[in-house]
Amino acid sequence: MSWASVLAARLRGLFEHKRLERELDDEVLFHLEMQIEDNLKAGMNPAEARYAALRSFGGIEPMKERHRERRAFALVEAMAQDIRYAVRTLRKSPGFTTSCVAVLALAIGANTAMFSVLNAVLLRPLPYRSPEQLVMLWTEIPSQNLREGRSAYWNVEQWRSQSKSFADMAVFDPGSVTLTSADKAEQISVVRIAPNLFSLLGVQPMQGRIFSAEEAEQRQRLALISHRFWQTRFGGSRDAVGATVELDGVPFQIVGILPAAFQFAQLNADVWEPHTMLPDWEASRAVRGGGAWFVVGRLQPNVTLEQAQAEMSAIARRLEEQLPASERNRGISVVPLSLQLTGPRSRLALWMLTGAVCCVLLIAATNVASLSLARSASREREIAIRAALGASQPRIVRQLLAESLTLAVMSGLLGVLVALGGIHVILALKPGDLARLNEVGLDLPVLGWALAICLLTGILVGLAPAITMARRNLRPSGQEGGRGIAGGVATRRIRRALVVTEFALAIILLVGAGLLMRSLWSVENVDPGFRPERVLSVQLSTPALMSAAQRADTYGRVLEQVESLPGVENAGMIGDLLIGGNPQQMLTTGGDGRTISERLRYRRDEVSAGFFRAVGTPLLGGRFFSVEDGPDSPRVAIINDAMARRLWPGRDPLGERFKLGAGDSDSLWFTVVGVVGDMRRQGLEYEPIPQMFEPLAQNPSRLATLLVRTSMDDPLRMLGALEAAVRRVEKHAPLYGVTTLEKRLGGFLTQRRFQTSLLIGFSVVALLMAAIGIYALIQYSIATRTQEIGIRMAVGAQAGDIFRMVISEGLKLSLTGLVLGLVGALCLGRAGSSLLFGVTATDPLTFIAVSLLLIAVAAAACYFPARRAMKVEPIVALRQE
Amino acid sequence: MRNGHADKADVLQGTLILLVLRTLEALGPLHGYGIARRIEQISREVLQLNQGTLYPALLRMEQEGWIASKWGASEKNRKAKFYSITAAGRRRLAKEAEDWRRMSSTIERFLGLDPGNMAEERG
Repeated sequence: MSWASVLAARLRGLFEHKRLERELDDEVLFHLEMQIEDNLKAGMNPAEARYAALRSFGGIEPMKERHRERRAFALVEAMAQDIRYAVRTLRKSPGFTTSCVAVLALAIGANTAMFSVLNAVLLRPLPYRSPEQLVMLWTEIPSQNLREGRSAYWNVEQWRSQSKSFADMAVFDPGSVTLTSADKAEQISVVRIAPNLFSLLGVQPMQGRIFSAEEAEQRQRLALISHRFWQTRFGGSRDAVGATVELDGVPFQIVGILPAAFQFAQLNADVWEPHTMLPDWEASRAVRGGGAWFVVGRLQPNVTLEQAQAEMSAIARRLEEQLPASERNRGISVVPLSLQLTGPRSRLALWMLTGAVCCVLLIAATNVASLSLARSASREREIAIRAALGASQPRIVRQLLAESLTLAVMSGLLGVLVALGGIHVILALKPGDLARLNEVGLDLPVLGWALAICLLTGILVGLAPAITMARRNLRPSGQEGGRGIAGGVATRRIRRALVVTEFALAIILLVGAGLLMRSLWSVENVDPGFRPERVLSVQLSTPALMSAAQRADTYGRVLEQVESLPGVENAGMIGDLLIGGNPQQMLTTGGDGRTISERLRYRRDEVSAGFFRAVGTPLLGGRFFSVEDGPDSPRVAIINDAMARRLWPGRDPLGERFKLGAGDSDSLWFTVVGVVGDMRRQGLEYEPIPQMFEPLAQNPSRLATLLVRTSMDDPLRMLGALEAAVRRVEKHAPLYGVTTLEKRLGGFLTQRRFQTSLLIGFSVVALLMAAIGIYALIQYSIATRTQEIGIRMAVGAQAGDIFRMVISEGLKLSLTGLVLGLVGALCLGRAGSSLLFGVTATDPLTFIAVSLLLIAVAAAACYFPARRAMKVEPIVALRQE
Repeated sequence: MRNGHADKADVLQGTLILLVLRTLEALGPLHGYGIARRIEQISREVLQLNQGTLYPALLRMEQEGWIASKWGASEKNRKAKFYSITAAGRRRLAKEAEDWRRMSSTIERFLGLDPGNMAEERG
């Protein structure tokens, strides 16, 4: 017997469905007519003849059904039919359908939106040629626990020439410059890059060309501009290539325009210039050891990260001998670019949120499964009739699955719309500095994900009713009276398990949300070391060609003008208040022959005399700067508490001397004249690093942040007067980055706030769904047990007993879920503990609060059905069946 | 309802195939009703044929290639579907018939033994 011929016939059957159906009808009709004729001949009357013919033929419909199943590819055919039938039944119970679709659409939508973020930020390959080969290379200093330090140009040259694992390496360094044009000056971001960076990434300019290695070597002033800069500055004009822009007062010729989508690392720079534009390039090029450069490399094909790392470690050891003593004991660390873009914490947070949203989906599916279980119990009769009409058991199970799949697909379509909205919301919230967030959108992988979770949800939802139904059908037919007893037990057991699952998942989410909430509070309550209220923050820049004395004078007069404004309490200046990562630098303490040189991570800034008063940082010892600390007076410094403790532990640092660089360097000695409180300038969650400040007058920086403490609740209202005051001193001074200090500080919290609010949202939804789940279950269990309750009351149970019985049933379930959930939360907490701040993953307060909340919600959800159960009239209940 | 036919056995699916093939071999092309009538006549009403079950069986046999079908005119010049046995069908019939004979003779022999003999043979 040929399997293929059956298959071919079946396939043919599928296409010839209509014709074959008609032929079968004809054949049956002919058969019946012949039989009737024969019966008439045998002497029956017409009615009898007809009846006898039909009886001897047997059921026509079941026969046709078997004929069809045989004929067509039973599955495909049946599926189409199942779906048609499913749509019909779902339409018949609009309440059930609407609530299920709403719940599932929300869950699928949230899930899809979250996945689109995960996909864009973590999963999708970077938009460069063979992105898996791209890595970042860092100078590693194990003794100082620094893994990712910048490197000196000399070192990178050595790595590049000695390594065989790398096809190429390129350096880059982001910074900012003043762009001057006819009427105004402004600060723009710039990246200094080695000319081979673009070919290394596999990126071509959209127009023009990239500067060559020779041009860079000759320090020609050439620049590439971003697509955005081209649009805003040149209106997308063709003449842009070849035009000049004035950066820091020096003309640069534009040689190329980069494609619109180009973005490297998190740099969204306007201008890209040769790396040789670095100030004092010739000197810095010879420096060995730590330096200013970020390094990106491309691995040779078929070279693994481990091989590259091993080779670089060997090179690092070889280079040791050529390095100055203070630069020894370094390593080189190789990190994939994709891991570099999104740090481990953001990664973990994204996975956590994705996990959370999957929990919500699971709870939603559980709830809908529970609902359809309850519904399937009341549909028993309908299904019994279908079975009697010849539907086989697998057919009925398939039917139930088709129903839940149809439900899920409908929800999925709606869910995609929800996801579109969700993506808008997420983009609007701008969750901190997540790399590549701009790439978020509904693309093929995201839609694929939506479809996958849709189908999975459909199967999950349909499975429980299908299983109970299949089990029920095994019992002999004709036991109508058994309704709600034997089958009900199986249904109820599954539904109980579902409710317990819901509670367990909800608890895990709630604990997570609680811990994150407490972390957020802790971060918000961290003392930043200054008072940001009512402080206006403005960036100020002075022309590059100004002399130090002129600059100091300009700053002094600006501060004078600003402080004289009504509404200004005091004003101060600092290079920049909020800072990023800081490299390790050499520093020498002491003097008089007993000097100690060491490397540490510290921050150096220039501040005006009134700076600390303006931001409200307390003086712990010594004095603030004064007008006495001018350019010609001895060099003095104020240090923060962290630096005092680091350099002179247990001693009074006032009067101590230190200098930057190694002991034999010719830099000047500073005398410590004051110690101030620590300021958290890298972010509220980071321990303050050692910081030193020198008088602005002794070393005026080209860029400065002006901080103005006002007497107004909205310091931004001062802006007009402030601008006028600055203009009175320097007509063209660019003012930019105007904001309040509170807002800048708030920026530190965006990502954490985003994660926390999202998780809180998810867990509240989860809790509500769990509550609805237990409410529906208890309600249903009372409805099916009305008779039992009636009997209990008839034999003397009091209303209170019934109430307790119902409540205890609900509480037993929720407590089981609670215990399971707490165990789960304890296990998962450890994995997520790096996301916490100021609270441990096993924080008892959070666990207790969450447990109480859950019990309260569960009790409330059981209360109403329990009240109803109390009011059951025994007589009515007993009459019911 | 079932009790009224207690003395008639239902036609088993496998048996039905044998009966149809044999009928077609003996009588040549026949329509469905003719096959049903023939089976009932030959079995002298001992076998209870639910006539409807014949058609899915016919379809299956046609799919297996044991029989072929063709629309034609009936005795009273009405359009009807005629089934005829194919070469593959004849081979199948031979095999089925052989199987059936072996089976029935085995059972026959089994039923002919008396319990004492059975015990002896087993020993």
